Amino acid sequence: MRAQFRFRIRMILAGVLLAAVLILLRLYFVQIVYGAQYAQMGDRQFASSASGLFDRGSIYFTRKDGTHISAATLQTGFLVAINPQMLTNPEVTYAAIVAVASSTAISKDTFLANAAKKGVVYIEVAHHLSEAPGQMLSKEHLPGVQVLRERWRYYPGGELAAGSIGIVSYGGTNSLSGQTGLEATYDSTLSRSGDTLYKNFFAELFSDTGSLLVDAKDARQGSLVTTIEPEVQTRLEDDIAKVNERYSSRDSGGIIMDPATGAIIAIVSYPTYNANNLQNVDPAMLGNPLVEHVHEFGSIMKPLTMTSALDAGVVTPASTYTDTGCITVSTERICNWDQKARGLIPITEIIKQSLNVGASWLATQLGQDRFRTYFTKLFGTKTGIDLPSEGAALLSNLHTTEQVNYDNMAFGQGIAVTPIQMIRALGALANGGAMVRPHLVSAIQLDSGIMRPFDWSGSVQIFSPTAVRETVTMMDALNDEILYNGKAKIPTMSVAVKTGTAQLTTSGGGYYTDRFFHSFVGFFPSYAPRFIILLYTDDPRGVKYASETLDATFLDLTHFLIDYYDVPPDRGLPGMPGQTGVATTTVST
Amino acid sequence: MPKSLALRVRSFSFSPVSLGGTFVAILGVTYIALIAVVMSYAALTVEFSQSVRDDGAAVSTLESRYLDTIASITDTDYTTAGYVKPTVFVYVPKASATALR
Repeated sequence: MRAQFRFRIRMILAGVLLAAVLILLRLYFVQIVYGAQYAQMGDRQFASSASGLFDRGSIYFTRKDGTHISAATLQTGFLVAINPQMLTNPEVTYAAIVAVASSTAISKDTFLANAAKKGVVYIEVAHHLSEAPGQMLSKEHLPGVQVLRERWRYYPGGELAAGSIGIVSYGGTNSLSGQTGLEATYDSTLSRSGDTLYKNFFAELFSDTGSLLVDAKDARQGSLVTTIEPEVQTRLEDDIAKVNERYSSRDSGGIIMDPATGAIIAIVSYPTYNANNLQNVDPAMLGNPLVEHVHEFGSIMKPLTMTSALDAGVVTPASTYTDTGCITVSTERICNWDQKARGLIPITEIIKQSLNVGASWLATQLGQDRFRTYFTKLFGTKTGIDLPSEGAALLSNLHTTEQVNYDNMAFGQGIAVTPIQMIRALGALANGGAMVRPHLVSAIQLDSGIMRPFDWSGSVQIFSPTAVRETVTMMDALNDEILYNGKAKIPTMSVAVKTGTAQLTTSGGGYYTDRFFHSFVGFFPSYAPRFIILLYTDDPRGVKYASETLDATFLDLTHFLIDYYDVPPDRGLPGMPGQTGVATTTVST
Repeated sequence: MPKSLALRVRSFSFSPVSLGGTFVAILGVTYIALIAVVMSYAALTVEFSQSVRDDGAAVSTLESRYLDTIASITDTDYTTAGYVKPTVFVYVPKASATALR
């Protein structure tokens, strides 16, 4: 009995030893013989939380039909790294890598220099290989070459809305994060910790059960849905680039906004850059001049002065004044653009003929306190747009007592605001006197799939609807009667416009007499606007007035938007104001 | 004569050792099953997520092509293709796009 028991014990012991030997043999083959191969296979399937593949939420454009088109997303592929200690033939290895990654590999000299660093075991030599070349290179099993999974930020539109979408970079830290534009503003929403998809569920199940059941990140992380319409954005970029090139301007820009909601449909600053290739981009270009830079906009400020005066009740549309062509205020001379006197004229002509003397007269009628109150409401605060580094307006002249400063501000000189502030203020004229908050993101699409819309309501009433309507009537007449001598008139659509030409400031604080800042604002249909458009070009050469540089661009955009969005006519058809019957007109643009 | 059910139940052994063994066996099988489920879930999740990423990358390539096409169309000078600017516009009421009148 005892011998039989010992035999059984020995048999069990032998079995255990055999199992241990088999396991050790298996471990030897897995970890030593085929270790590198398994490591590479593992790299392709998993990534640890610590060194996870780059992950980040997307940013979407929104087409007019509601379809989302990626503005920023992720591209997957491979990177190639070498271990100089295991490289057998660097020349042959480089040739094999370049054969599949000619555009993304480093130069041969750099590669050979890296290959000579025998004290280093990991050097990345090529990035952004697409799927097929990466797989092909991986199958070659080159000694000392690792082909690893990689993901990177990709902007399908390249230059499209680049300044507003922003960029992702290291920015002095060890992790990629949004540095400019929406990428920076919504970095906490877009960024990922890297362990969402690639984690060891078995370990997580026992070590972090709580986060598997309820994860707060699911309620925070997501993708951005912007209000930018890609085709409108493309059109605006194309038009702005042409203006800038035609007149050799320093820079140009434009914004198209829904005045009722503040949703920005297109926003362009030129020159711009390709967000997929930042190697030779001047860092100064990475910002967004439309929210960061201030300008003196010139006469597009006049409608705001006019509306302030009408709203305050100091004038009515029937009021008249005597236009002398030039006036002298505190030893400074203020003149109309053509220096001609008009005599006794209705104030409606101040907008139609863009008369500086008339705007100054309005400022005088308004008084400094009321002028300060209105313009502080309009420009005294930042817009709160969801873009970083928003600039503040330069309003120091509002806090002086010299009347000449108010006279100048009345026609847009001596007051500098950002383009986004300008369109917000002018948007009040297109929105019954209420100023809305411009914005680019309409909703966050959470990773859980839930769409969380943003609430951008909370408009501020600046002017009465009556005062606004009276000013809009003047701007409407400017388009119908003055622009292109009336040939810009669209019989079936009322369009309110105003041009602006401001003298550029010198470094000494004065003004150039031959260098200008051109601006143009317009909205339509005039009395229930769907769109407001602000355009500008800075320091155009060989041309003096904004009506010469930006009117064709504005009209092109207006006709494009009417067609693209099927904006219904508001006049000129049976039962509508204007005329009865089908309208026909001849235009030459 | 066959035993009654009550007799069978009474004759069945309910020793603590066998009960404990049965319980441990059930726990062991459940544990192995859970491991299998979790591992399968993890493998499928990684596979699906990679698949989603690959599809997303493919879609972004198509979106890039779409945006390039828009830019190309927008930038096209139609006069070089033989078209001329219209000199007369006739504005007419547009028919409703839907069947509802």
